[in-house]
Amino acid sequence: MLKKVTLPTLFLLFAYFIISNDNAKVIIAGIAIFLVGMYFMENGFKLFSGGTLEKILEKSTNTILKSLTTGFIATSIVQSSSLTSIIMISFLSAGLIELTQAIGVIFGSNLGSTTTAWIIAYFGLKVKISIYAMPMIIFGVVLRFSKEIKYKGLGDVLLGLGFIFLGISYMKEGFETLKDSIDLAAYSIEGYTGVLIYIIIGAIITVIIQSSAATMAIVITALAGGQILYISALALAVGANLGTTITAIMAAMTSNENGKRLAAAHLIFNAITGVLTFIFIYQLSSFVDVVASFIGIEQNNYILKLALFHTIFNLIGIIIISPFIFIIVKFLMTVFIPKVRSSSKPKFLNESVIQIPESAIFALRNETINLYNKSLKAIIHAMNLHREDIFSKKNIKDVISVSNKRIDTNIDKIYNDKLKSLYSEIIRYTSLSQEPMNTQERIVLGSLKSAARKIIKSVKEIKELQKNINIFSRGKNTYIKEEYNYLREQLAYTLREIQIIRKDNLDEIDRLTKIEALRIKINKFDLIENEKIDDLIRTNKISARMATSLINDSSFATHICIRFVEIATIIWIKDEEIKEIGEEREY
Amino acid sequence: MNISKMIKKIDEFFTLSPKKQDVKKKKLLKIIEKLNDKKSTIQKEIKKSTEKKEKEKLKDELAAVKELIKKASKN
Repeated sequence: MLKKVTLPTLFLLFAYFIISNDNAKVIIAGIAIFLVGMYFMENGFKLFSGGTLEKILEKSTNTILKSLTTGFIATSIVQSSSLTSIIMISFLSAGLIELTQAIGVIFGSNLGSTTTAWIIAYFGLKVKISIYAMPMIIFGVVLRFSKEIKYKGLGDVLLGLGFIFLGISYMKEGFETLKDSIDLAAYSIEGYTGVLIYIIIGAIITVIIQSSAATMAIVITALAGGQILYISALALAVGANLGTTITAIMAAMTSNENGKRLAAAHLIFNAITGVLTFIFIYQLSSFVDVVASFIGIEQNNYILKLALFHTIFNLIGIIIISPFIFIIVKFLMTVFIPKVRSSSKPKFLNESVIQIPESAIFALRNETINLYNKSLKAIIHAMNLHREDIFSKKNIKDVISVSNKRIDTNIDKIYNDKLKSLYSEIIRYTSLSQEPMNTQERIVLGSLKSAARKIIKSVKEIKELQKNINIFSRGKNTYIKEEYNYLREQLAYTLREIQIIRKDNLDEIDRLTKIEALRIKINKFDLIENEKIDDLIRTNKISARMATSLINDSSFATHICIRFVEIATIIWIKDEEIKEIGEEREY
Repeated sequence: MNISKMIKKIDEFFTLSPKKQDVKKKKLLKIIEKLNDKKSTIQKEIKKSTEKKEKEKLKDELAAVKELIKKASKN
């Protein structure tokens, strides 16, 4: 009830404040346009890079120095530390990189995010950037009409930059006119109390608007408009750094232990850097003056000095904390221990990467493999076989002839307890993640969804087969027993071959060849086609009832085998062109 | 640039470019080349192989690779 009243009231008050205050209207509109720009730019880079960013982040992080540099460069280019950290969380979850490397990237990304201040300080205020904003927005919109995903992405980047420039120009204009009516700088509190208050204000603004870049834009334009003192601006920059950590922590709350570890590392970095900067802020300010005069920044150019301060305190943070990354990792590993997951819960479907196509596909592929592994166990047990026998080098015929002992496997229970909710999660994740995807990515997503469906369908069909395997494999009629053992052999052979296909040492062509060979072999399996059953009935070796069961079960077995070949093609052949050659018919 | 050329350029921009189709074709040719390499490797392995079971498996793979080359060439 309170929520129902409070929120609309606050909203109305906010609306009244904006309408009645012309300067505030311009400044807040500027912030809003800036944030829209950030959104478009981030989105544009996701489309424009087409996975390049992910590839760079994956491959250039094998040492801490490389991780730091990669994090710095990547964030400087895409201007979004949150995008970098989301990709890192997805890589950690998928086991592509170690926590040490990810932390290195996050530290580097912190430094990379300081380039925003330089861009705003250099171009945003020196040049009348609103002149450039308009053509950027126009060309951005035109490019968005293209069907080529790269042009679309470029369009979003241009649109984003245009809005960012426009936003800055509005903020600048707002603060400049505000100076004529009110002087906010007059209310500044001096000394450490003032610094602390401005740090808190900086953090709060960042938490509210969810962007440290936007906070820095406000701070820089306010400083340029003379609405805040230089020392207060420095404190606000420290606050923005802390605020961005809170945003990351909020995002990590719904994430797995990897996301939490990374957010905690980010917090440790920013908290230590923040505290040190708070204590030594006046000394640091003097140090910035020295560096500024050394690199040719005028003493009264407070805007560039603020950007320099932002970079220097993050750099000092990296120099001080980086040698302790291994200790931080050790500590985080003991604090955030992975929860013992219920086997029906997804292991890889990370909510924080759902909007990043490459990472979402990666997570879905891994989760489909997880569903496959779980189903595989149930299917093999339903055939009264064990994985260690099937996946060994033993002769399959020999394994089957000695494995007639019934293994108690309740397929319905396994499906309801372990597979159903996992499958539902895959379907849900597929639906939610497809929105930002291009056509090609949607095709991959659709095929992964279809692989999950085929896995479940196979589990349901093995249940039908299981009943008769248990009856006939242990019965007195040796002919029907032999036929059912043949069906088990087909299935076991298929699963063994797929186990070989999924090995890491094979390249895509090797995999495709083995899959095709398996497909050809399976086509020869079907008992119905080779008239064997007719012969058994004619010679009274099996009854008509047995024959009916055998015909049905043979069809089930063949369908399961073919479906498994299709599943293997989807999951283990990643190259779409190669996959296209191998794909044949739907079951 | 004359009008028809300009229209063609605009059309290429708003639809999938022939360049992209060309890239796809080149990639397919590369895959066929790799499949042919695989075919000759298997043929050599068959000649070397002395074990009956292994030979049979290699023959299956040879049939598969031939089938794949056929499928890829159709595309």
